[in-house]
Amino acid sequence: MLTCKQVSNALSKEDYEKLPPLRRFFLRLHVKLCVFCGKFNRQVMDSQDMCRCYKEHEEELAEHRPKMEAGQKEELKAMLASQSK
Amino acid sequence: MPKKPEPKVPVTPPEQWVDLYGDYLYGFAMSRLRNPDAASDCVQDTFLAGIKALERFDGSRDIKFWLRGIMRNKIVDQIRKSIKENQVDIEAEDEALLESFWFKYSGIATTNPDPWQFNPRKHYDNGEFWVVFEKCIAKVKDPAREAFVLRVLEDQTTEEVCKAMDITPNYLWVLLHRAREQLKISLEANWTGKDAN
Repeated sequence: MLTCKQVSNALSKEDYEKLPPLRRFFLRLHVKLCVFCGKFNRQVMDSQDMCRCYKEHEEELAEHRPKMEAGQKEELKAMLASQSK
Repeated sequence: MPKKPEPKVPVTPPEQWVDLYGDYLYGFAMSRLRNPDAASDCVQDTFLAGIKALERFDGSRDIKFWLRGIMRNKIVDQIRKSIKENQVDIEAEDEALLESFWFKYSGIATTNPDPWQFNPRKHYDNGEFWVVFEKCIAKVKDPAREAFVLRVLEDQTTEEVCKAMDITPNYLWVLLHRAREQLKISLEANWTGKDAN
């Protein structure tokens, strides 16, 4: 069985989904049952889930992100044209 | 002499890169750097590096994603540069946390963190939620945001981030904890769809 410190260390080093299945199972079990670190580390795991999901959805966000200004684009085009000659 | 294999996807000429990928790459850089000047520098450096490395492009994926791959390295370099200019100092509150009994005993900040005011999982399929999430990341204060971007979004190892920021792994843990905390508070305040479902 893992200790609270081992669970916290594992979660601080790596996304728990990347852990080997057996270690992940014991980590989940510990977090589910532990009255000391359960609430805190559950939130760490939730945050890892959220960030993983965000990265999966990133491509859909492109249209909502800021765009380059027209002037900047022209400067960049001129610079690239001179470089690719 | 062996002939170079034809790329599986067409290679877009560099003259068209700005029109086709400029906005995409700039937006991506802004999501990591939040500074317009740094983001446009990053796009420029990416295109220049792309032109130099174009011969090595194997065509196994779209050139947009190939350029994004180059840009991820440029983003990490930009953040490293910004960290060097504004050295990371440990705050008294964080020092107290590192010295606290709970942290030393169990590696956690508190046994009783505030619960989420809504269940974010219910909104993972809602595109709007991720737009708000991204805006909330930008609101996290540096250096916690920089640590979060390097470690979580750019998948740098703990050792690499600690080296770049010149901090200990324990302090990196505190910074990531602060980033998560701020992100949670910010999401609770800004996500208007939390009452749905």
